[in-house]
Amino acid sequence: MFDNEYLEKIREEKEKWEELYKTQKERDMKFVTDSEIPIKQLYTPLDINDKDYINDISFPGVPPYTRGVYPSMYRGRLWTMRLFSGHGTPEETNKRWKFLYENGESGFSAAVDNLTFNGIDPTEPDGAPEVGTSGVPLYCIDSFFALTEDIPIDKISVALVVEPFTSAPVCSMYFNMAQMRGYDIKELIGTTQNDILTMTVGYIPYKNSPPNHILRLACDLIEWTVAMKNVPKWHPINFTGYNYREGGIDAVQELSFVFASACSHIDNLIERGWKADDFVGRLAFHLAAHKDFFEEIAKFRAARRIWYKLMKDKYEVQDPRNLGFRFHVQTAGSSLTAQSPKINIIRTAIQALEANLGGCQSLHTNSYDEAICLPSEEAALIALRTQQVISDETRIHNTIDPLAGSYFIEWLTDEVEDRVWKYIDKIQKVGSIDKALSTGFLYKEMRDAFHKRRMKIENGDEIMLGVNKYPVPYDTVTDVFRTNKNAIDIEVNRIEKLKARRDNKKLETILDQLRDVCEKEENVMPTVMKATREGATVGEVCNVYREIWGTWDPPLAI
Amino acid sequence: MSKKKIRVLMSKPGIDGHWRGGIVVSRAIRDAGMELIFGGFQNVKEIVEAAIQEDVDVIGLSIHSGAHFAYTQQVIDLLKERGVLEDIMILVGGVVPAKDFPKLKEMGVANVYGPGSMTSEIVDFIKTHIRK
Repeated sequence: MFDNEYLEKIREEKEKWEELYKTQKERDMKFVTDSEIPIKQLYTPLDINDKDYINDISFPGVPPYTRGVYPSMYRGRLWTMRLFSGHGTPEETNKRWKFLYENGESGFSAAVDNLTFNGIDPTEPDGAPEVGTSGVPLYCIDSFFALTEDIPIDKISVALVVEPFTSAPVCSMYFNMAQMRGYDIKELIGTTQNDILTMTVGYIPYKNSPPNHILRLACDLIEWTVAMKNVPKWHPINFTGYNYREGGIDAVQELSFVFASACSHIDNLIERGWKADDFVGRLAFHLAAHKDFFEEIAKFRAARRIWYKLMKDKYEVQDPRNLGFRFHVQTAGSSLTAQSPKINIIRTAIQALEANLGGCQSLHTNSYDEAICLPSEEAALIALRTQQVISDETRIHNTIDPLAGSYFIEWLTDEVEDRVWKYIDKIQKVGSIDKALSTGFLYKEMRDAFHKRRMKIENGDEIMLGVNKYPVPYDTVTDVFRTNKNAIDIEVNRIEKLKARRDNKKLETILDQLRDVCEKEENVMPTVMKATREGATVGEVCNVYREIWGTWDPPLAI
Repeated sequence: MSKKKIRVLMSKPGIDGHWRGGIVVSRAIRDAGMELIFGGFQNVKEIVEAAIQEDVDVIGLSIHSGAHFAYTQQVIDLLKERGVLEDIMILVGGVVPAKDFPKLKEMGVANVYGPGSMTSEIVDFIKTHIRK
């Protein structure tokens, strides 16, 4: 971007400055990013002299999308403020959602409990003490009427945070509920997380089916909603790097896991006879905004460029609307402390700013009490206000991608991109994403990351204020938000009422059809739509999967 | 003095899949020269059966679901019923509010490790408090 003569002049001046620098002391520490990318004292035009503005950076809404996915970005429309939220019962969660909506929240995201997550009914003994403790219980269609009561679901998007093993029953309950309330599901807007890696390495699955079946279930939802145009505006999958990043992998691994996984899903759908253009425009992403300020911003910019290249070069996508990398961000829960929890408000604010400077489409900010309990109403409101301070008071949205052109940011964006391509290769050498799981490869990568991060914190290489620097005792002041103790009775009662009124004979015939569909490995969605409309619970549908495909114990590594 | 290694069962009661804490602590326990039995997901019966069969000195319960009182009480009740409660140290770790520590200790838990705990603290506690 500079002529050679001028670059030579810069080089001469830089050498002089380096002499000056040497006259000063440097603190005894490693200057590296969170991904351990070595960082120089200073960046100059010399570091980006091989860049071509039009090909490598260009304009927002224009390939390679480094500067943003839409031409007008936040000048046209702010990001969606979407807090991941759910607790106790659907009625209580509905109340919290309305509270946040009245305070300016612009999208909903359902945090479900462990039973919904794993497809277990509360009438089974396995997880009964966990009904509603870590999210909202959504076991049957009646729960969805309660969850969305008085909420205009045709105007505000809802994210259903469930994974492939339960995405068909949970989403079909939502779609059926919407139809029964008179909405055209062709117009419904929202997202299903439906992420195979969240289910398997972000968390460990409890009595789920093996990875090859889970991958197929994820693709069934993409195929039925988008490719077959039943719910064409829905985002049927949200590749959630956030959930595995939280385990301790770094920014480079986070993007690599996401892209390797996305490729396996696209390959599966192409094998089914679809063209990439039939569905890739509705694939969505969910990334972390972690502690390393500039590296995270570089990561978001690099992600858009990598996705564009993958779509254009590998999958030969034609429609320009299908080339953009749209993503939700969550600030880093694992950066929060139970010691001096109010400091978490500051951490979250800085991480939120990373997401906005990186051009996210949607953002969740963590509540300051999240290292201790589910968010209280007060803590959730502060989290929402944190985003509103940025959107309404800082004027950061005046211009698009304000950090572009920074020698450092452009250099770091390139560096992250290069490293991600190499790591994607490493994963893809093992095979498709279900192979990377069943062979244990990803478990070993996660295990190594867990220990590396833990050692960094224990030996002080990674500072956590209140924990390993200026340590203070675990906080006992913050009010602990407790979920409804009667949730189990309420939910068992809800299911019993439903079972009393439904046509059990008719349902059994539909579940038999589902057994047949599972055996033939056909798309489960049409049959699961019928089953949940007739009152099938999430556990009843998942038990059919277990019966036909078996369950899977992941090859965990210690 | 007995040279028998300290035996630790690490278990996740219930169905919650937050696995990092249990793995990280398991590694620290193994690295400290103790015998680790990694139970993974276990229901209360399986935990107590494994503890008895493996003749463990310590049961570590890794709980991130908010259901720490329910599961811990169930494990303690069954250990008592089987007459082995006195022989086994119970430790709880995970996302547990500090406000809940006293009640858990009253129930019979030797110590509780919330977010920000160091693995070295856990290893030291086991080594100094184990009844050998």
